[in-house]
Amino acid sequence: MIKFEQVSKIYSGGQKALSDVSFHIQKGEMAFLTGHSGAGKSTLLKLMTVIERATTGTVSINGHNIAQVKPKQVPYLRRDIGMIFQNHHLLMDRSVFDNVALPLVIEGFSHGEIRKRVAAALDMVGLYGKERHNPIMLSGGEQQRVGIARAIVNKPLLLLADEPTGNLDPKLSMDILRLFETFNDSGTTVLIATHDLGLIARMKYRTLTLKQGRIHGAMELDAESFLD
Amino acid sequence: MSITPQINRSKLPLSGRIVMFFMRHIQQSMASLGELWRNPISSIMTMAVLGVSLSLPAAMQVLVKNAQEIVQSWDSAAEISLFVKQDQTDQAIQSLLARVKAFPEVNGVHYIDREQALTEFKKLSGFGEALDYLDSNPLPAVITVTPSAEFSSPAGARALLQKLEQQPEVSFGKLDVEWLERLQAIVNLLERTVFAVASLLILAVVLVIGNTIRLAIMNRRSEIEVMKLVGATESFIQRPFLYTGMWYGVIGGILAWLIVNIMVFFLEGALVNLLNLYGSQFNLSGLGLADLIELVVVASFLGWLGSYLSVKQHLKRIEPN
Repeated sequence: MIKFEQVSKIYSGGQKALSDVSFHIQKGEMAFLTGHSGAGKSTLLKLMTVIERATTGTVSINGHNIAQVKPKQVPYLRRDIGMIFQNHHLLMDRSVFDNVALPLVIEGFSHGEIRKRVAAALDMVGLYGKERHNPIMLSGGEQQRVGIARAIVNKPLLLLADEPTGNLDPKLSMDILRLFETFNDSGTTVLIATHDLGLIARMKYRTLTLKQGRIHGAMELDAESFLD
Repeated sequence: MSITPQINRSKLPLSGRIVMFFMRHIQQSMASLGELWRNPISSIMTMAVLGVSLSLPAAMQVLVKNAQEIVQSWDSAAEISLFVKQDQTDQAIQSLLARVKAFPEVNGVHYIDREQALTEFKKLSGFGEALDYLDSNPLPAVITVTPSAEFSSPAGARALLQKLEQQPEVSFGKLDVEWLERLQAIVNLLERTVFAVASLLILAVVLVIGNTIRLAIMNRRSEIEVMKLVGATESFIQRPFLYTGMWYGVIGGILAWLIVNIMVFFLEGALVNLLNLYGSQFNLSGLGLADLIELVVVASFLGWLGSYLSVKQHLKRIEPN
């Protein structure tokens, strides 16, 4: 689902963000991405969502070589990826319903279908009945769950979460992680970037560790991409 | 990992996509109108500026339209005088008259023979007695020719004059259209001026709308970023802004129409009074329903254009980071 082959990224200012990164996350897998701030986690996620493009090497998402994706195709690629952000990226002047419905509106679903799917997504994250609220009236944890509902409402193949538990207490963080596990159980590939090592330690998933733009440790190596 | 070389354009079937395409356009155009309704203060200011800017070219249009009407009614005043050579026999003159009458460009002829010309001259010039001392009548016979409608414009009448002068019996012809040509030149100048000023004001309309849309884009920066992140295409994001620009144009156009008609109503009484003093029957015509439609179509296109230019320039710069 996600395949990096000798990927390097140097920003235009000469700042080296990633060097020679290779890994492969299988379809249906759930994995963590950790590292100190500045280690290149954000850059890695930006390469996957085509916000940035790799300087050298190949990034493939769901079989598409990103380097060959034209700017006009980027929106369609992103529709297959559910993204969750630490600062939620919600529209504060719109209702919870409008926020969650946004990907469906963009896709062009009918009104009835949108209502059904939004209700299902909100139900899944435990916010059923809060459609008419504004995100500003909700707590941090609830806002995060609105963001999650928006990410999954379109049933994406891949879920990317950037510090989804950043501002939450351990109990809420655990709830959110359990939520990701349910999505993973239904076949969605999940990659969670976090620096919350305590959280990762309690779970048995593969962990990619970034240090100064390089992958560290043995756990991230997967046989297929490194034996050749 | 499944290899799917083609990126899914949409998850909907073709028929659903076509229906949704129109649904979306209607929804977004209505949403844009609703957006203007919800922020009345800023949108009213913009619309007022557009209305005033558009009303000036529209008012000038009224001016030109009325001026042309007046000039046209004077156009038919053109008349050609042909002076017949001295030594022509009556028979030759009669044949000339018949030939000229048969010209398709000619509406009518009036013949004044030498005797009549002399009597007339005596009467009008005041030289009456003195002329009796002449041995012979020095005046030529004259044929006055009234051109048909198509040939009564200065250029047409001039062409006809040339043709008539080629007749062997004709000594020379005279066409008194200089004043008409001057008037037409003035109207031409007026038209040019209107065109130049209107172009500037139209440019102003495009710029005002462009700037308004630019501000709207800046205000919704974070929303645009989020939309790009969840897979909205450029055309989806820009559509509401294009519709907003169009609505500005539509309402600005209607305002301009109202302003001009109020102005015409205000001026009409005074102008008609003035023209009546000169003994002229004249009605000042304002802008009708067809003009309203024309104005709204042009204005909405300008609105669309202004916002298109703005969107093309500013939307690309907003990228999620």
